[in-house]
Amino acid sequence: MREALRRISAIASKEFIHIRRDPRIMIAVLVMPTIQLLLFAYAISFDVSDVPTVLLDGDRTTASREYLAAYEQSDFFNVVGHVESQKAIDDAFDRSSARIAVMVRPGFGEALARGEKASVAVLVDGSEPNSAQLGQAYATALNQALGRELTFEYLERQAIDPTRAGGITPFIRTWYNPERRSADFLVPGLMVVVIMIVTVQQTAVTLVKEKEQGTFEQIIVSPIRRGELMLGKVSPWVLLGVIDMLVVTLVAIFLFGVPLRGDVLTLGVGTFLFVLCSLGIGLLVSARASSVEVANLVALLISFLPGFMLSGFAFPLHSIPRFLQVVSYAFPGRYMVTITRTVFLKGGSFSILWPEIGALALYAVVSLTLASVLYSRRPD
Amino acid sequence: MESAIQLKALTKRFGSFTAVDAVDLDVRRGEIFGFLGPNGSGKTTTIRMLCGVIAPTSGQATVLGHDAIKDPEAVRRRIGYMSQKFSLFEDLTVDENLRFYAGVYDLTDEKFAARREYILRMADLVGREGELTANLSVGWKQRLALGCATIHEPELIFLDEPTSGVDPTARRHFWELLYELADSGVTLFVTTHYMDEAAHCSRLAFIYNGRLAACGTPGEIRALMTETVLEVDVDDAEAALLALERVSEIREAYMSGAVLHVNVGASSPASVVELLAAAGVTVRGIEVVDPTIEDVFVHLVTQQRAAGETLAATAPEAVAVPNPPVSGSPDA
Ligand SMILES: Nc1ncnc2c1ncn2[C@@H]1O[C@H](COP(=O)(O)OP(=O)(O)OP(=O)(O)O)[C@@H](O)[C@H]1O
Ligand SMILES: [Mg+2]
Repeated sequence: MREALRRISAIASKEFIHIRRDPRIMIAVLVMPTIQLLLFAYAISFDVSDVPTVLLDGDRTTASREYLAAYEQSDFFNVVGHVESQKAIDDAFDRSSARIAVMVRPGFGEALARGEKASVAVLVDGSEPNSAQLGQAYATALNQALGRELTFEYLERQAIDPTRAGGITPFIRTWYNPERRSADFLVPGLMVVVIMIVTVQQTAVTLVKEKEQGTFEQIIVSPIRRGELMLGKVSPWVLLGVIDMLVVTLVAIFLFGVPLRGDVLTLGVGTFLFVLCSLGIGLLVSARASSVEVANLVALLISFLPGFMLSGFAFPLHSIPRFLQVVSYAFPGRYMVTITRTVFLKGGSFSILWPEIGALALYAVVSLTLASVLYSRRPD
Repeated sequence: MESAIQLKALTKRFGSFTAVDAVDLDVRRGEIFGFLGPNGSGKTTTIRMLCGVIAPTSGQATVLGHDAIKDPEAVRRRIGYMSQKFSLFEDLTVDENLRFYAGVYDLTDEKFAARREYILRMADLVGREGELTANLSVGWKQRLALGCATIHEPELIFLDEPTSGVDPTARRHFWELLYELADSGVTLFVTTHYMDEAAHCSRLAFIYNGRLAACGTPGEIRALMTETVLEVDVDDAEAALLALERVSEIREAYMSGAVLHVNVGASSPASVVELLAAAGVTVRGIEVVDPTIEDVFVHLVTQQRAAGETLAATAPEAVAVPNPPVSGSPDA
């Protein structure tokens, strides 16, 4: 045991020396993430469809049912459920299972019948501002069209002059991100992608480089076990990954003014696990890559594309094809993006985020185990 | 005395290509065993199997009494390996490299202190401990690599072309270090394609296209050659070689350092002189010499190549023939 520790620490201290002596690594780890964060955050804007929506019918009249049915027919709204209470709406937003809630208040039908203004509340989860903005626009449009139609139809039936009657006025309230600031929404997700790219890439390269130099062979003829070698090689990167996350978090807070509303410890634990997952992926890449170039490329593809497409960072996960939604579970990004967004914007903590934390922990164990199995095999 | 290494029909295939073909070998303890062969003949592949880096396709290998295939872990602490690319970290200092390998072999601090001092002196690096390895010239790097590979005082050391790319003075210096190690009872398994280094070894094996072509003491190897070898000093070696190659009776002709070596085969020394004169080459000196190890190996390669060519005539997918051995520099 003491011997194993001695061997692991020999590898780790050597790794630290490499890192310290190579300015490119320092730049890649500390400067690049900040630059990427700045570039991406200012450059990105998106479009959405199929926003998960819940409906609350507090009126239960023919008029309210007809009104809500219009949401079900729209392409923009994806009605995922009918709920009974305001509390249920809160829950749906917390679990991110819905982003918009449409609430018909009691008396909606009567008001219409009297030819008065009927009111409807449209609640928008603002932690995803592109959805929030669009959701608001669509709901308004829908209300205007629908409202007029509903009112006209009704009034005509009642033989009242439609021009003198009221319409339907939606009250729109945006939750979680009241000013709907894009940076608030983007930056917590972007942090995740940026960290993943850096850590996956660096670990993928570090072992392949050793193989190319021939030092890998020199090390494995020693009494060191391959698992020990792996552990020694990644431990400095765990530290660097966490430091990295700290740097981008500070950038997010002080440069972008993103509020950190939730539990810092939950964010820390999530970060640690997420870094482990990225290192696991990096090691898997380096176990198979034949050269530093290949490792670099594969690492970039495997971290960049899923980071952008499948983490919910750029495109809400419910708006990508179902097949890709399934694939997204295979990358740690989606769990971590949920964690950062929930902690930053919704003030979330472990009590809400335990499924994501659990998923990351499981992911870390599986990927690191798989990597060490791949490593302990003697090559042909 | 017990064998240090024993190989029985050791074979390694990469796909359909056989890199090491049923090699039998017996290396005794305490000897400097030279493993010679041209580029791509399978030297490194053999060593990698013996060190447990790669698994053989078939055959047996016993290293220091342990099965090197089934249980490579058993002898890790007792063997050293200096791989073909000197396995130093260029961005680490001399001291950091030593410390790293000491850590990997989990040496105690006292042990490391003692070994470090010894190695620095041996490698002539005292006072340069803090220098980056990248800044050392090749000879020093090579000695430092030897130091790192022997930091745990192994009983058996595999050295894969330790002297390639090193100048003759540094090579001589390096061989002195190897002698020192051998004197202290360490077994050395050294590959090289410098033929002049063969004379430094107590026994030799010659591998060609993955097959063992000859094995024995330098004397025994030389005795394999029964034909007459001439050493010829000419003004225009290229023209001379061209002329000699056209004559089928002459077995081999090649440059050995600055002079030609000619295996006259069925021809005679007199006819060689005539032939060269006819080609307009001035012969400055000619004498019959005892065949060198290089002569024997060139001869073996030519024989095998001829066999390979008849094989190629019948089997079009037959093996490619690599380059002949590199001859040693004349001053070494
Ligand atoms: N991993 C591998 N996959 C496929 N072929 C290989 C592999 N390793 C070696 N070879 C081939 O096996 C043959 C023997 O290679 P090896 O490195 O053992 O030769 P060598 O005698 O050490 O040559 P050199 O003097 O150039 O170092 C070569 O033709 C080489 O291309
Ligand atoms: Mg080799």
